[in-house]
Amino acid sequence: MILRSFLEMDEAKTFVLEETREHTSAKLGMWLFILSELLLFGGMFILYSAYRYKNPVDFHHASRELDVLLGTFNTIILLTSSLSMAASISALQRGQRRLSMVLLVVTMALGLLFLVDKGFEWGTKIEHGIYPNSPTLLARAKGEILFYGLYYVMTGLHGLHVLVGICILCGMLIFIAKDKLNQTRFVPFENAGLYWHLVDIIWIFLYPLFYLIT
Amino acid sequence: MSSIDFGETAVEPGKKPHGTEYRTYTLVWMGLVILTGMTFSFAGMDLGGWTVLIALAIAGTKSGLVLNYFMHLRSERLLIFRVIIPLVMAVFLVFILLTFADLAFRGGVK
Repeated sequence: MILRSFLEMDEAKTFVLEETREHTSAKLGMWLFILSELLLFGGMFILYSAYRYKNPVDFHHASRELDVLLGTFNTIILLTSSLSMAASISALQRGQRRLSMVLLVVTMALGLLFLVDKGFEWGTKIEHGIYPNSPTLLARAKGEILFYGLYYVMTGLHGLHVLVGICILCGMLIFIAKDKLNQTRFVPFENAGLYWHLVDIIWIFLYPLFYLIT
Repeated sequence: MSSIDFGETAVEPGKKPHGTEYRTYTLVWMGLVILTGMTFSFAGMDLGGWTVLIALAIAGTKSGLVLNYFMHLRSERLLIFRVIIPLVMAVFLVFILLTFADLAFRGGVK
């Protein structure tokens, strides 16, 4: 009897160890992906810095035309979505399933709001004839053409990441609803959260570099 | 079996890994919003070359907050997490330095 309970205990322990090992490797893999993403955007940040160093005045003029208030508003939106994301994961880990789902929906809604704002911003610019290779833009100074090229590529790629993030979170919501993710199984959800925070960090740098050049 | 080092990051199933998260998260979020306001107001001032440095320093602080608190890097005890991130940052720094060294010393070719 005692031996049996010992064996059971050992089994349970092994199970815990297996789980934690899986957890650690999954998280490590996610971090490697995040770091590769940082280098992807990092390359573009270096390109931006080099061109800005060469064309400081043009960059200043071009940046003046961006809507600073909209950019700031979007920054707050993404920061808030990071808060609700982190809280949603904690809620699931505490077993507060409903709260977790509500917070997750809030996160997705904020992400969507960010994209809608971005869409309006791009829309206004395109309406004014400023888009890559447009005649209005090509008539401008070289540095301004470079600025808007970088603006569209970098905010565009970032927007794509937000869109992908929303899709991933949508999947997570379904998993939580189906109880595939719960208090004891939350590693994929944590990793999705890491991705969402990464997108936030990238925007933290995009915001001052594009909207706040003086 | 118990001698295997999982570096304390190990989260036992069913146990919540972090203590008083909600409060911390909200405080961090408030800090982030305040820092955003600071970047915004600093950009309006004429500080010459300092403007970019200040903006980047604030952005760095903000991402540090997100990394440490939202992404839990702070409570990560496994050595590899403490190594790979500075390592990648160092690689990135080398890229930056090489690019700017190239730009600064290109000299004759214009």
